[in-house]
Amino acid sequence: MLDALHFSAMAISFTLNGSQVIAQSDPATPLLDVLRGELGLTGTKQGCDHEGECGACTVLLDGHPVRSCLTPLGKVAGREVLTVEGLAGPDGLHPLQAAFVEVGAVQCGYCTPGMLLSAKALLHRTLCPSRPEIIAALEGNLCRCTGYAKIVQAVELAAARLRGDAPHLNAAHAGPRPIGGSALRSDSLDKVTGKARYAEDLTLPGMLHSRVLRSPLPHARLSSSSVLRPSSLAEAGELPGVIRILTAADVPGSNGFAYYSQDEPVLPPAGATLRTIGAPIALVIAESPEQAERALAILQADLEPLPHAFDLDTVLADGAVPIAGEHNQLATWDLQHGDLEATLTASDHCLESCYETAFLEHAALEREALLGYLDEEDRITVIGGCHEPNFQRGYIADALALPPDQIRVIVPPTGGSFGGKQDPWPFIATALGVFHTRRPVRLVYTRRESFDASPKRHPYRVRYRMGATADGRLTGVHVRIDCNTGGYDGHGQYIPNFALTASGGPYRWPAVDGRARSVYTNGPKGGQFRGFGTGQSNFALECTLDELAQELGLDPLDLRLRNAITEKDWSFLGHPVGESLGYREVLEAVRPQYQRFLEEARQWNQSRVGHPLRRGVGLAGMWYRFGKSGSVRIEAHAELAQDGHLIICCSAPDYGQGTNTVMSQMAAEAFGVDREWVEVVNADTALVPYSGIQGASRATYFVGGAVREVSTALRSEVLGTAAELLDCDPDSLVIERDRVIAAGADCRGVSLAEVGGEFDRMGKPRRVAGFFDLASAFPAEIRPEYLPLVVTGAHLADVSVRLDTGEVKVRRMVAAHDVGRAVNPLDAEGQIEGAVLMGLGAALMEEVLPGQTTGLSDYYLPTAQSMPELQVILVEVPSRHGPYGVKGLGEAAMLPSTPAIINAVSRAIGVRLRTIPATPERVLQAIQLAPAQQGCYAGPRTRNAGGS
Amino acid sequence: MPAYTTPATLDDALALLASHKGQAMVIAGGTDLIPDLRRGVKCPQALVDISRIPELAHIEMTGEWLVVGAATTFAALKEHLAIRQRVPALAEAASAVGAMGIQTAATWGGNLVQAMPAADGAIVALALEAEARVAEPGGAAWRPVASLFRGPGQSVIDPTRQILTHIRVPLPTSPLDRAQGKRWGSAWRRVGRRDSLVLPILNCAVKLVLENASMPYDPPNLGGQGGVPNLVGQVEVMAEDLIERATIALGPVAPRPFRAQEAESFLAGKPLSIEVFEEAGRIAQRESNPRSSVMRASREYRLAVIPHIVSDALAAAAHRAQVGRRIHESLNQRLSGSVNQQSEGD
Ligand SMILES: Cc1cc2nc3c(=O)[nH]c(=O)nc-3n(C[C@H](O)[C@H](O)[C@H](O)COP(=O)(O)OP(=O)(O)OC[C@H]3O[C@@H](n4cnc5c(N)ncnc54)[C@H](O)[C@@H]3O)c2cc1C
Ligand code: FES
Ligand code: FES
Repeated sequence: MLDALHFSAMAISFTLNGSQVIAQSDPATPLLDVLRGELGLTGTKQGCDHEGECGACTVLLDGHPVRSCLTPLGKVAGREVLTVEGLAGPDGLHPLQAAFVEVGAVQCGYCTPGMLLSAKALLHRTLCPSRPEIIAALEGNLCRCTGYAKIVQAVELAAARLRGDAPHLNAAHAGPRPIGGSALRSDSLDKVTGKARYAEDLTLPGMLHSRVLRSPLPHARLSSSSVLRPSSLAEAGELPGVIRILTAADVPGSNGFAYYSQDEPVLPPAGATLRTIGAPIALVIAESPEQAERALAILQADLEPLPHAFDLDTVLADGAVPIAGEHNQLATWDLQHGDLEATLTASDHCLESCYETAFLEHAALEREALLGYLDEEDRITVIGGCHEPNFQRGYIADALALPPDQIRVIVPPTGGSFGGKQDPWPFIATALGVFHTRRPVRLVYTRRESFDASPKRHPYRVRYRMGATADGRLTGVHVRIDCNTGGYDGHGQYIPNFALTASGGPYRWPAVDGRARSVYTNGPKGGQFRGFGTGQSNFALECTLDELAQELGLDPLDLRLRNAITEKDWSFLGHPVGESLGYREVLEAVRPQYQRFLEEARQWNQSRVGHPLRRGVGLAGMWYRFGKSGSVRIEAHAELAQDGHLIICCSAPDYGQGTNTVMSQMAAEAFGVDREWVEVVNADTALVPYSGIQGASRATYFVGGAVREVSTALRSEVLGTAAELLDCDPDSLVIERDRVIAAGADCRGVSLAEVGGEFDRMGKPRRVAGFFDLASAFPAEIRPEYLPLVVTGAHLADVSVRLDTGEVKVRRMVAAHDVGRAVNPLDAEGQIEGAVLMGLGAALMEEVLPGQTTGLSDYYLPTAQSMPELQVILVEVPSRHGPYGVKGLGEAAMLPSTPAIINAVSRAIGVRLRTIPATPERVLQAIQLAPAQQGCYAGPRTRNAGGS
Repeated sequence: MPAYTTPATLDDALALLASHKGQAMVIAGGTDLIPDLRRGVKCPQALVDISRIPELAHIEMTGEWLVVGAATTFAALKEHLAIRQRVPALAEAASAVGAMGIQTAATWGGNLVQAMPAADGAIVALALEAEARVAEPGGAAWRPVASLFRGPGQSVIDPTRQILTHIRVPLPTSPLDRAQGKRWGSAWRRVGRRDSLVLPILNCAVKLVLENASMPYDPPNLGGQGGVPNLVGQVEVMAEDLIERATIALGPVAPRPFRAQEAESFLAGKPLSIEVFEEAGRIAQRESNPRSSVMRASREYRLAVIPHIVSDALAAAAHRAQVGRRIHESLNQRLSGSVNQQSEGD
């Protein structure tokens, strides 16, 4: 592959960011590789396999935005190249960079350099770009985090400033307090200048490169005599630069990571069965990626193909091909209360439905990228994006048979995860390489490999029987959910519980009979994906409720309100929820827009009978449980630094969602200083305590809780000592900037640095531990396995559909969420905007077809053109236990968007869509299969059509 | 000789190719070639970059022709004001190719030589009855673009020897046409899995030449939502006009970029009406033989949709032929957004 570019090297000179440079390479080498390699400028990012499919690598060539991954070095000879590193001028940030930081257009930051350069080219052409012009300029730059809204807004702001008609600081956002005001992200500055060092940007002297030999077959047995054909092993091992070829025999400890995935080996032994395309077979470690690649091409494993199946029906049929588990089942979960059959029989209405979803890929713009090395204390250290470094440390320790304190895991700036980077496999593989070579080892997946081998969102089939009275009170629900976990467990054992929980929503159900199971197929392994198993059920539930409302002739909003639980009610789970509940408030918040959308769509449709374009409006709600299982005691540390600033040590990795900022805000608020006075040391197992497992939505509530506790505790220590120094009452003291001063007129004070010095003299530790502990609120005896902490939200979608082609355009959306308290409103909005678009992708375009999907060229992520006009409504019903009233948000926001869109499409075409993604083809099929009276489509267009 | 050269003239480029005796290949934008090199699909020993030859990146309108250098990028095509006004389908097709960062490099010539059955540049060139000028050491000659395609991904042009230098499109309103009361309209319609950066499920370009056209009229509110004019359902007012000639190009419905010739002959001499357009669409459907693509759409879907996109495009072209005066305003709006969006209006 890489070898195909084999011209002899030439010296090529060009202007790079204003300076003359000479690169000495094969002229067909992509400029991207030259910039990041030979020239050491890592600000330009790579998101796909040099295919031109992502835009992350965009640079300006003579002022025009081009894909540097498709631009051969030879092309730039004598020309001018501008990368993100050259954007800022001598007097500081380019207005675009400043605007991106200010409006919150930077989340993980991986798309940011490319976005900035595409925008720069646009603003060079015009300083008065219209919104469609901005969108067109950015349509080739994928962003998985932001939903594009804030990026477009940033370009508008920068354009206005360059024209001279906008203020220079976006003062509207800056609140008086650290929390509640939209603080600028602490790490955005590095991301807009290209300085942020993501895992793939790090190099170490003597670094080796690791590549993985993977199975091309969906189901196969490895030869029982050896993992690799001995002749190929010998041949590959002798290639220049090849250092080690590792197989199962080289895993010194336990060959697996059972707590995460009970049946998945690190590397398969001879005779093992490989259950998915992309299952790893061996690791090659070489001096260069090309050398590792060459070895991969030679290595051969003897694989005996086995019959395979990707779908639920085939694996669940009698006599089905055995893949794993008993009858191909991994785990089940049941939930029963009330007498369901009796209530359903007595109900006025009983509705049945069946909904299906597809494998989804996280497609974070940064692929899996890790760097392993031995740190200064000889610990095996792995730097890589993940959700819980302590867990990764544990998995590595088990596989290497080393004590955990000889392993270190550090989370660097991460280019998005959405759950995908929770997979321990790449961490273990990287550590294994370091273990065997004692040298630095880099492992970076190709995009193709990431599609094949990284975990996916589980496809579900959800079947409902749902009862209601004629006036719209829900009477009972029977639900059966099959979750396709692919070839391996990958947390699929916990999926049924989450699937079932989400299938009931925040509604009153007098009787429930639910069962969910996870089922093995030969599809890609399942795993965490934003919402961990809840989005699929919520889609089915909220669409079924819409069907029910239609059948009952009720307004879907009223149906939901009529059945919404309050805090005191018995929930679907069979017990009350453990937090304040803002569902009613959320529904009421969208009502005005809902009525407006409905009326506009009605008028539009009415005035165009027979027109091929129809409009529809959809509504969907959700609840999302962000409570934890296991320990509910979370630890964080606070330290008074030598110069008196506050250091917070916690483990709430920031993979783009902004936890670094939120933690610093909470600490600043509790300690009583400005946020600039707080330093957050996050997610490095050698430096911070274990803060429990993080799903994105848990960090603010749980780790934030511990950060607040510990900051408050340190504050009172500081004030106590200061009171002694100043000889006054601690209650009379306040912290102002870097000093503790006595309230009142005399302005006596002592600096925080001096207080720290006094700590040392007194032998008082500068570092204290603090805990967020819900044990008293939820005593162990009555605590369910997962704390019943839930958040709610509701979305509206206004769509138009071409009845003759099935094309759908999402025109407008409204997203209302109960966030408890918006610690950083700008960030909360950004999270929601990104989640809405991800839900839109799931609704309309995204689907991994095992064995078919190859990457970003055929897995369709929403682009800037897909973005609807979006209004976010933050509803604040303060939580009872969370710090400052916060609740979890990041994952939940994706849930209602998919069903809202599908409900809107179904209403527009007059037929229920029950399989997603609703591609044009599926939509057209639904329209064509619909019985005539059901569809509102009046047949082929007639001559009298139009009439506008 | 260096493996990568960037000649300044066409003659130099041809000479360089000749001196490599089939081992060197033309590179224009490289958006197709670089991925092909990585995959090992093409293995030249040297590359001759034609993108810096001034005459190959030149756009010119003579009285009767639009002449475009083959190394002109789609970005340049879509931003060219006169093209947007007078050959709107070309501007629309250009802005449908990939996305901005692709259009700045990808050239019209490269798109034709790459010869994919649904290449946006090839489909629009067919409908516009474009001609290509192919140069080789012995000389150069014009030939119809339609004669360039051999099969999927196969062109009759040999990029190790020949260079496609220019593409020319007969221009709509020549003085003679105007004297004869003829009006032209071109239009573009594309269906895809998303709104940008995606290969088409189907694309379609059409050109209509009307005779005895009635006076242009002011259409009711052309500025639809999202800047996309609504061109559907507004055609019945044109009924007095007659179609002199029509072209319809479709992709991917055959191994090569395809002209629906039966539908075209059917249209000749017909009045403008939605029924006529729909019938043309059905004939085009019968002529088409699309394949199923797992990642894009099935044969059945493609067949089901062909009549609708053909009649959409014809309706839009007819509308433009009649309201040429007004059309560029809305088109400017439309091009600043995406042309890939469905037509929609109030
Ligand atoms: C991400 C992405 C998205 C894309 N989306 C689309 C799309 O939506 N629609 C679409 O139609 N295409 C699309 N393409 C394909 C591609 O961009 C076009 O085909 C492009 O127009 C090719 O032109 P080029 O200048 O890049 O050609 P090159 O890659 O430089 O050349 C392609 C081939 O043509 C030969 N060649 C080029 N110019 C000449 C010439 N003047 N004379 C002789 N031989 C020549 C070369 O030798 C080579 O064999 C996409 C490509 C990418 C990477
Ligand atoms: S890395 Fe260049 S477009 Fe993806
Ligand atoms: S911020 Fe755009 S991809 Fe993460």
